[in-house]
Amino acid sequence: MTSEQYKSHNRKTLFIKGSYAVFPLILAVIPWGILAGSYALEAGLSAWESQAMSAIVFAGAAQLIAVGMIKSGIGLSTILLTALLVTSRHFLYGLSMRSQVSPLPLKWRLSLGFLLTDELFAISNPEQKHPFSPWYALGGGLSFYIGWNISTCVGIIAGHNIPNLHSLGLDFAIAATFIALVVPTIKTRSTLICVITSLLTSVFCALLNLESGLLIASLTGMSAGVFSAKVFGESA
Amino acid sequence: MNWLVILLLAIVVVFSRYIFLEPRLPLRLSDRALHFFRYSAAAVLTAISGPVVFVHDHQLALSTENTYMICACVAVALAYLTRHTLLTTIISMGLFFIIH
Repeated sequence: MTSEQYKSHNRKTLFIKGSYAVFPLILAVIPWGILAGSYALEAGLSAWESQAMSAIVFAGAAQLIAVGMIKSGIGLSTILLTALLVTSRHFLYGLSMRSQVSPLPLKWRLSLGFLLTDELFAISNPEQKHPFSPWYALGGGLSFYIGWNISTCVGIIAGHNIPNLHSLGLDFAIAATFIALVVPTIKTRSTLICVITSLLTSVFCALLNLESGLLIASLTGMSAGVFSAKVFGESA
Repeated sequence: MNWLVILLLAIVVVFSRYIFLEPRLPLRLSDRALHFFRYSAAAVLTAISGPVVFVHDHQLALSTENTYMICACVAVALAYLTRHTLLTTIISMGLFFIIH
């Protein structure tokens, strides 16, 4: 193989590896995509608008919450502020990936930025086994995007025939995949402390009905991680 | 009106995802900051899952009747033993939908 051929072969392999890594997350999100489609229709959006939510906004939680608010006739500024709060965890992802993504050309930054979901971050974050590769991330991100949009489309076509998906306990699917992703990354005591702290704080905030609980719990967990690394004398 | 909401939502979301990936943003992360952000995946993903598993109807659900908790424990054990994401997801979800 010439070096050019080798490079393109390597890209393809990385792209496919990324798609493979995100596959379990696509499975878990299919019911949510269906829900996002049928719920948007139910809230009074047209079929095109419902699909556009997934195609342009491409943010599960923010989408569902915004659609719920449109349905209840809540004002634009409140919708946007809530969306900003829900989506604020992406600031953390951007900061975490800054050293790897910001040196890349604009088209890479924009593509990966647009595709940067919880799921993409989870498979390409620095704690994973593989060194960061844009092709790997693109494979994962794009596959997830397609999966999310196809399942939304199914939801729109099925429309009101969807039974009450909430009662089926679909939220467990998300929890299960996140557990499956986080547990293997716990390799140091400080990461374990971080996870336990984040877990306790998130449950506590949820019991208090705090809207910003996710952010508070994440930052508390991260601080606990850094602090305990210092206490345990782990190298930074 | 709906199109305006969709467009503005998209701007908010893309902004939050892209802003720190922009090299012209005058921000240099110190080693300490990078160390801090190394914990972000574990912390955020846990903070999303925690309430799903342990909080139902605004109350702490720690009884053995909480299928979410039982299946989450199974998922933790499977993930720890196998380190296989797909296997863990499929088995724990399957178990959940059987007993839920």
